[in-house]
Amino acid sequence: MRKNKVVLSIFLVFLTIFLVSALLKTDISYGKTEAITYTIADATGDWGYPSPYTHYPRGPGYVRMSFIFDTLLWKDETGFIPLLAQKWHYEEKENAYIFSLQKGVSWHDGREFTAKDVIFTFNYIKKHPTWMVDSSIVEEAVEIDPYTVKIYLKELYAPFLNNVACTLPILPQHIWQEVEYPRGFQKDEALVGTGPYRLCDYNRAQGTYLYQSSPNYYLGKLKVERIKFIKVSEQMASAALKRGEVNASSVPPEAVKDLKRWGLQILTCLGSWNAKLMINHTKEPLSSRKFRQALAFAINREEIVKITQRGYATVGSTGLIPPSQEYWYNPNIEQYSYSPAKAQAILESLGYHRKNGYYWKNGEKLRLELLTSPQFAGFIRLAELVSQQLEKAGIAVSMRILDSKSLDVRVGSWKFDLAVSGHGALSGDPFILNKVILGKDFISARYDKNELLNKLLSDQLHQMDREKRKEMMYKIQKIYAQELPALTLYYPTWYWAHDGSSNLYYTQDGIAFGIPIPLNKLCFLE
Amino acid sequence: MRTKIINYAVAFLVLLVLNFILPRLMPGDPLSAIYGEEVLVQMSPELKANLIGRFALDKPLWEQFTSYISSLAKGDLGYSYYQNAAVSEIILAHLPWTLLLMGLAIIFSSVVGIIMGIESGWKRGKLMDKTCLTGMMTLSGFPSFFLGMMLLLFFAVTLRFLPLQGARTAYGNLTGGWIVLDVLKHLILPLTSLTLAEIPANYLLTRNTMIINAREPFILTAKAKGLPDSKVRYRHAGRNSLLPVVTRIGIKLGIIVTGALFVEIIFSYPGVGNLIYTSLLMRDYPVLQGSLIMVTAFVLLVNLGVDLIYKKLDPRT
Repeated sequence: MRKNKVVLSIFLVFLTIFLVSALLKTDISYGKTEAITYTIADATGDWGYPSPYTHYPRGPGYVRMSFIFDTLLWKDETGFIPLLAQKWHYEEKENAYIFSLQKGVSWHDGREFTAKDVIFTFNYIKKHPTWMVDSSIVEEAVEIDPYTVKIYLKELYAPFLNNVACTLPILPQHIWQEVEYPRGFQKDEALVGTGPYRLCDYNRAQGTYLYQSSPNYYLGKLKVERIKFIKVSEQMASAALKRGEVNASSVPPEAVKDLKRWGLQILTCLGSWNAKLMINHTKEPLSSRKFRQALAFAINREEIVKITQRGYATVGSTGLIPPSQEYWYNPNIEQYSYSPAKAQAILESLGYHRKNGYYWKNGEKLRLELLTSPQFAGFIRLAELVSQQLEKAGIAVSMRILDSKSLDVRVGSWKFDLAVSGHGALSGDPFILNKVILGKDFISARYDKNELLNKLLSDQLHQMDREKRKEMMYKIQKIYAQELPALTLYYPTWYWAHDGSSNLYYTQDGIAFGIPIPLNKLCFLE
Repeated sequence: MRTKIINYAVAFLVLLVLNFILPRLMPGDPLSAIYGEEVLVQMSPELKANLIGRFALDKPLWEQFTSYISSLAKGDLGYSYYQNAAVSEIILAHLPWTLLLMGLAIIFSSVVGIIMGIESGWKRGKLMDKTCLTGMMTLSGFPSFFLGMMLLLFFAVTLRFLPLQGARTAYGNLTGGWIVLDVLKHLILPLTSLTLAEIPANYLLTRNTMIINAREPFILTAKAKGLPDSKVRYRHAGRNSLLPVVTRIGIKLGIIVTGALFVEIIFSYPGVGNLIYTSLLMRDYPVLQGSLIMVTAFVLLVNLGVDLIYKKLDPRT
């Protein structure tokens, strides 16, 4: 009789789980999203206390803060739109922007919003720098009248509207004037803004946020009363969307087809991030522009997209700016389409000859070291493929896997030949080119050997005429593609799925300075 | 006894020195480690200068070490610039969830493992023993995270009976008993996977000792006295088979904090394992260091505790 007791008890354990869970299912109505609550899934969860100084210095942290704090201007699908500033114009003679502010706007604590708050904010960030805005560009902020401010710039600065007016959250003077250490200021008052939502709860451990709509938002009524951010891993996001537990989430590319079948709407983000091959252009033979071009011909970027990204990416443009940046992208530059023959011709013109499958020069085998790290998904596979392609073209490659920090240091101190790296911020203002071409960080190509390129990069920052700036950007891409101080391999495609209850969209040039997340707070307006 | 405590103190000191030295041997500046290169792209030069000033490690190493030890003594595990909070505060927010999950898993797996081990060992070679043994051997081949994924796919994704992840329903407007039920409901799958993964070791250990004990003369005496079978099995043989299992549970208690790492990640359970994982992704080194110190201190403390208890329990000493 007792023989089967233990076997039976195992079954009983399973049966109990089964029954208890089924029982609980009928009792707790968890996850049922009411019409007025919008739930957003996030794989990381915690992005910090959403005040301008305490959210984590990443895009999702900024977005959580942007629900509470408004900026002077904002962007939607089409471009700049008014927010705290009703109107704005640029005074060329004085190199200043004049903003006419909205009247009748109040802070969440009922106090009136005026020009004084704007002036205060510009002064405050000079004393307490933030990660999102470079306040050194601003010479002075002056109050013309209680609803007009004039911002004098130190020098001509083309990205001002995008990088400052659309990005800098305006702080209430009556609260922040007393705050000496803003990063430590985490009281309720730190979250008094003029934005459409107020924070009801933030749980660091659970990675959850709850927002409640502000009753008298100056741009109109909000159709979504409550916004919830909950932590859901990327793998489970599809299941959560199907179950109706969340309204929106970023999803892995492989899930897109299935989610479409379930009637979910898909948003696609092309080209905000790029994987690139860093090239040590300070040492032989990579210091030769022609040699770098031969490398580009030898690398099959289409195959890389197909194999390492399973097709969910755009082939990298040699001019760095992705084709999805339609306004700035120059389609007429040399793209170095895969051509082993051309690579061979260049290498031979440089004095290399092929023997036993590899190129040799002065009795030495052409050999390069390729560094990679497991920091980003697929980077090891990517490096393996690049190695194979170069080997096929006659260049011996030894691949080395380092931890990401060691790789960054090696690249930063020029102790490498080739390295696989990557960075984002390509969906915002193209000023990013200055940082990733001339910048001094390991993320940058640190290439200043072309005088014309240096001049164009510096001049475009000061070119206030958008069309003329575009012309300059076209030239910059052309020269960059010729010089090839680094080679962009691909831009991965990112997907978001949502149930359509709110009209989510990707903001033109990204939220604020260029965040590629389709959670623009204005999506939730009626 | 005194030497034992001194040994532990030395081990702890070595760990402290390691914990102090390792991050200082890391290549590169801490700035990129803390903020990550994504931000370096966006960060303004003035903020960068400001932060570099904050991280300046310009004092001699000895002074740095003494200030490190003195702040540790005050319970200060450091400060996470990424999370903008004290490390101890961050860890304490995650610790209860891990303790709940791992604590229950250890209790359940011990109880079930021991009972099954006793039953199985008592009836060695019978059908039930063979079935159990085969089942347990198979089960012991599956790591907890694999079981977790299977359970998650079956009970949460396919059958939709249980929540996909987390430790509670976020903003579900639940009160009183419903909160407890909600927490339990979220606990079922991660707890089951951890328990199932832990049962086999306890089972096998108990079963082995049980087989040895069953041959002992005192069992024969007990049987000869005419005691009921269940009493002989549990009071006499079973009780004496517990010692090795208790040792194992003691060891398990030491790694209670990190034992659930993979399962926590799969279920997005907000425990210390998940915290360590996220910190690793974000390269939040202060949190990683703080967790390391806490875990090692915990392991040493539990080991010391087990050592001391053993002294009292073992009649031979």
